[in-house]
Amino acid sequence: MLKSLLRPSLSPLRRTLATAALPRVKQFQIYRWNPDTPEVAPKLQTYDVDLNACGPMVLDALLKIKNEQDSTLTFRRSCREGICGSCAMNIGGVNTLACLCRIDNNTSKSTKIYPLPHMYIVRDLVPDLTHFYQQYKSIQPYLQRDDHPADGRENLQSIEDRAKLDGLYECILCACCSTSCPSYWWNQEQYLGPAVLMQAYRWLIDSRDQAGKIRKEMLQNSMSLYRCHTIMNCSRTCPKGLNPGLAIAEIKKQLAFD
Amino acid sequence: MLSVTRVGLRQIQPSSFARAGLFARSLTTIPQPPGGVTGNVNEAYVPPKPLKSHGSFHWTSERIVAVGLLPLVGSSFAGTSSTIIDTTLAAFMLYHVHSGFQSCIIDYIPLRVYGSFHKICMYLLTFGTGVAGYGVYEIEQKEEGGLAGVVSRIFKA
Repeated sequence: MLKSLLRPSLSPLRRTLATAALPRVKQFQIYRWNPDTPEVAPKLQTYDVDLNACGPMVLDALLKIKNEQDSTLTFRRSCREGICGSCAMNIGGVNTLACLCRIDNNTSKSTKIYPLPHMYIVRDLVPDLTHFYQQYKSIQPYLQRDDHPADGRENLQSIEDRAKLDGLYECILCACCSTSCPSYWWNQEQYLGPAVLMQAYRWLIDSRDQAGKIRKEMLQNSMSLYRCHTIMNCSRTCPKGLNPGLAIAEIKKQLAFD
Repeated sequence: MLSVTRVGLRQIQPSSFARAGLFARSLTTIPQPPGGVTGNVNEAYVPPKPLKSHGSFHWTSERIVAVGLLPLVGSSFAGTSSTIIDTTLAAFMLYHVHSGFQSCIIDYIPLRVYGSFHKICMYLLTFGTGVAGYGVYEIEQKEEGGLAGVVSRIFKA
């Protein structure tokens, strides 16, 4: 009641634009596929979004579309700040996180949004990452030791040894790199892919880990590691700016005369 | 029905017969598990058996040969060729090409999907390398200047 009385008196103070902002309508073309109607082929559906009434990131536009236009649009998202890796998708031909990708302000061009390429699709923009996680599990991504510190406390590590893990531990397993790799497209059933191999390297060089022998042995075949042909799409696409290609090269170097 | 869809058996698709005829019949692939997922979701992926001759040894020999080719090709271009250098060049080149094609076959005609076709391709490649190896032997025996001599004569002709 009080607010409604105050509002007219406040309105002259409100900051307004000199000219009324023209709506900047941007077209988004989004991949749609519904498992409930498998007979309907996947298609691109077009949505118009006014960029003046939308946040700066692609995820903002997706949420706006889902809230206001089409609640059936399906995608994963969680943290909206690039730390969970849920909203990995192919935006304008590049695998990236929707929450870290700015909307292209050029309204004369539409932005195409697809799920991660060459994955089995659950629905719309949601890929099936089951096999990806199975591969991650296979490299045993946890500390393994034969003996434990005598004082019964934590395993200590020098500052230099800890620094070796920088640029590796930050990986959020969004699968952008793996699904950008042609080798992974061809043989993802057997090739581990850049994301998982980078974590394999992270555990190989951890000074506290003592299972290096088993870790190296599981890569000694033609498929798991050596399907990498240094195409380097992984390092180019990583939304966190990491370098999985370098990590794979380092593993190959370690194994070379093993 | 179950036995037809089970992994490991040849999948027969009548529609593909109609379209591509006999050729399609001979190119049946091994059906893959649905969604590329084997076992339940909590099972880890099982890598192939460790075999260094397919792993690090293979990779290292590939790199040594590739790096070794550089000075060999260079010296042949410079014209300072001898029989030993030329024979090594030819042998390295043969291995380099062989491993390149091997990689292509593993990538594009994987054993997992194509089964016996993968093996046939590998046998064909080995056979081809054998024939080429015999050709290299003949060139080194009979042609003047060996492989480098043949190449320079082709360029001049």
